[in-house]
Amino acid sequence: MSAAAADMPPSRDTSVRGLVRRFGPTAVLDGLDLDVPAGAFIALLGRSGSGKTTLLRTLAGLDVAEQGSVELPARRAVVFQEPRLLPWKRVWQNVALGLPAADARAHAEQALREVELAHRMDAWPLTLSGGEAQRAGLARALVRDPDLLLLDEPFAALDALTRLRMQALVAGLWARHGMSALLVTHDVDEALLLADHAVELQHGRIGLRLRIDLPRPRRHADARFAALRSELLTALGIAAEEAA
Amino acid sequence: MSDRTSALALPGGRSHPLSAIRGLVPRLWPLPVGLRRAITPLAILVLWQAGSSLGYIPSRTVAAPIAILAAARDLLVSGALLHHLTVSLLRVIAGLSIAIVVGTTLALAAGLSRLGEDLIDSTLQMVRTLPFLALVPLFILWFGIGETPKIALVALGAMFPIYLNLFAGIRGADPKLLEAASTLGLSRAALIRHVVLPAALPNALTGLRYAAGIAWLSLVVGEQINADSGIGYLMMDARDFLRTDIIMVGLGVYALLGLLSDQAVRALERRTLAWRPAARVGR
Repeated sequence: MSAAAADMPPSRDTSVRGLVRRFGPTAVLDGLDLDVPAGAFIALLGRSGSGKTTLLRTLAGLDVAEQGSVELPARRAVVFQEPRLLPWKRVWQNVALGLPAADARAHAEQALREVELAHRMDAWPLTLSGGEAQRAGLARALVRDPDLLLLDEPFAALDALTRLRMQALVAGLWARHGMSALLVTHDVDEALLLADHAVELQHGRIGLRLRIDLPRPRRHADARFAALRSELLTALGIAAEEAA
Repeated sequence: MSDRTSALALPGGRSHPLSAIRGLVPRLWPLPVGLRRAITPLAILVLWQAGSSLGYIPSRTVAAPIAILAAARDLLVSGALLHHLTVSLLRVIAGLSIAIVVGTTLALAAGLSRLGEDLIDSTLQMVRTLPFLALVPLFILWFGIGETPKIALVALGAMFPIYLNLFAGIRGADPKLLEAASTLGLSRAALIRHVVLPAALPNALTGLRYAAGIAWLSLVVGEQINADSGIGYLMMDARDFLRTDIIMVGLGVYALLGLLSDQAVRALERRTLAWRPAARVGR
């Protein structure tokens, strides 16, 4: 596949084939296949220990699989569950970290404006609220103009109201930038709010793939939202029973 | 009520756990906290002066406070104090500088590479257990009785806290931050510069604070052996003439220098660690 890439623009698709990753005797990823077409938003569900985070870390380049092949867009960015800002660098310096020095501040400011945090660009990270810090983390990912945005439960540690605002923010940013996104989450509602596809990891493979065909922006109150929600929950429940 | 609360509050603004109990005690002392805290030392000074003036405390045991002040003034006027102070200060600066350079170099080598750790860390951990002041006889044999053994003693003693704290700080850098920074495409050198070293800085400064304390301690020992200048020499010389007043001046100067160097490092911490919430600076 990669041989053909010589005279083509680098692919913005993500494709994972036969991925295997073991920790000791247990295979956390066991021959996993996954496609994230350019521009798609995929939510990755699954129980704790189902390999969601391992898969995301593999795509982020933080973990090395033992077998299988991974094709990735060159520009990727990660938002973690904790903001992981360097406390000794001001917010804008965190966002600009790793960028070419010229115009770094201007780029950082632009990204911070997109997450409505430009007014805190000179603040120390430890003075930010949880939601602000997470938005700074999001800006740090955005400023790299990624083709693939990897989100590792980025809203899990936030309070309910902040989480709703962050979800709306991410939905807007994704729609505007057209990057692909892979969101690891425990939250079915979150998957339904944001993703085109909900994918469930099970025994180290994709167990279930559900297309979420709702108009955007999505609302919890939508009747079709409730219907899809129960469909997804049922599917996950049945899947869980089969697993037992 | 409000002035009572403020009288009970500590300078840091936190309320003291005992304040509830103290509130029950009748308020006999309508004085500010600062003054109340000065009562005991002042009372000791008055009793000390009275005991000396009345002949209960012989001056060969310890000089009277007024005599100590007079000695300090004489030493200042004659220029002797400034001379010896300068000599001592230069020894500490030289020793501490060597300690900083060597300790930092070793800690970087051991902290940033496995090979460096294997070559350096266990050896230094062994040497560290030696009471380094016991090396004085050897140092005199090796370096003679000039400036070298004194500076070497300061450097050796001050090097360990710098090495140990910086090494621990480098190894203690939060792996989650390192991971996050590595997803930003930073090279190894950039990771060290932007993540590892800043993460280690609070530890390094704690090490520097300990090092400054140990530097003065080493100097006290070093200057009492074969010195012909320095605060320690001033005190040893005074001992030969039973001048307890001068000995007390020397003690006071040592205390003041220790305090000043500690304050200097704390000021450095406040400047370089401005990102930390205020309450944690200097802990």
